[in-house]
Amino acid sequence: MPSLGIPGLFGSPILGAVDTKASNIFGDFPVTNSIVVAAIVLFLVMKFAKKATTNMTLIPHKAQNFFELVVEFLYTQVEGIVGKRMAPKAFPLIATIFLFVVLSNWLGLVPGVGTIGFGTEVAPLSVKYISDPLLRPATADLNMTLAIAITFMVVWSIIIVRDIGVGGFLKHVFLAPSGLGLGGVMKLIVGGIFLFVGVIEMLSIAARPLSLSLRLFGNIFAGESLLHVMGDLTAKLPFETPWFVDFLGSIAFPIPFYFLEILVGLLQGLVFALLCAVYIQLLGGDHEEGEHH
Amino acid sequence: MEEITKTFGLEWPKFIAQCLIFFFVYKVLEKKAFGPIQAMLLTRRERIAEGEANLEKIKKDLAAAETTSQGIVDKANADATRLVAEAKTSAAALSEAERQKASTEAAQIIAKGREATEAEKKSQLTALKQEFGRLVVDATSKVSGKVLSDSDQERINQETAKQVAL
Repeated sequence: MPSLGIPGLFGSPILGAVDTKASNIFGDFPVTNSIVVAAIVLFLVMKFAKKATTNMTLIPHKAQNFFELVVEFLYTQVEGIVGKRMAPKAFPLIATIFLFVVLSNWLGLVPGVGTIGFGTEVAPLSVKYISDPLLRPATADLNMTLAIAITFMVVWSIIIVRDIGVGGFLKHVFLAPSGLGLGGVMKLIVGGIFLFVGVIEMLSIAARPLSLSLRLFGNIFAGESLLHVMGDLTAKLPFETPWFVDFLGSIAFPIPFYFLEILVGLLQGLVFALLCAVYIQLLGGDHEEGEHH
Repeated sequence: MEEITKTFGLEWPKFIAQCLIFFFVYKVLEKKAFGPIQAMLLTRRERIAEGEANLEKIKKDLAAAETTSQGIVDKANADATRLVAEAKTSAAALSEAERQKASTEAAQIIAKGREATEAEKKSQLTALKQEFGRLVVDATSKVSGKVLSDSDQERINQETAKQVAL
């Protein structure tokens, strides 16, 4: 029967390897530790959004000012990619992705997330190592990253179909652009090539949720694993070390990687959001006349 | 595929739960956060644009007012210069007229004075002549010892007056 505790609370801390999957924290009930963190992120985002948008004035208060700064920065980025016409439609989705992913990534760095959980009890409130952490970064769960990617693809499809229609989408993907000035055999050959490219394009579109979700999951899972490995570094030495060396090592070695992970968390959020913006731009953005992908 | 889903813990209920959480965040932020914030940013941008437009208008009005006021000042200067010149001319003419008038009056006063002096002189001469005639008559009557008649007295007076040429 696993007990709740912190690894090495009364001895050498051993975090153990991070599991590739999130674990249920209420027995068989399908609520995982990552869902709990996602719910916390949801609560924090809602709370801050409410604070920022309550009693809004032309001279902004602190929370409003910060939120406006974030919104303006993101809107400028999104507008720069998808264009002025598409920006109002794409912005809420892209901004939500960015805020949710970044906050989820950073929440994984909060002390206790991944380091407090269930395991074999060695002393009161102390376990040998964590087998099922109480909290797990939401983006270190493939269910979550895939959910974000799939939600994006669904909303993306709606935006694109509303913008250019199903016919416009198929025409854009499979047909050669008008104005190439080709005729006869050349027109047939180029048409065939574009049809083939369209099939590849459809495959790439189908692969987008996987590429988006696996990239994010991989980076955050790797970051979590890296912090755990750094925390356990002294325990993996080929010789015995006193418990306080293990303790100090578990604090000192992960610190540089915490800064790295703060950066990675931000960059991954930005990469995910900007790639989504690019995907919208490819089919729905403001294009030059005759431009094709 | 089954091994992959097992390794990464992919399960429909968890996946759907995460989808719902994310979609909920998206919709709430879209309606309650991004919308109002963007509306506020738009309002602020409009206010700034309006302020800038007003500033431009104020600048133009100010420039127009400066031009108008400069015109008014220039006109006032020109009028003032003209008035001063006119006043100078008028003052000179008036001064000349007054001088002429004073000169004429002075000449008249002198002439009157001369006339008065002349008349006084004449009257005094007449009185002197009469007195002298009376003295002559008186002396003649005393010398001759007779009483002179009025015609004698008249004759002697006239004769004396003729003789005394003053």
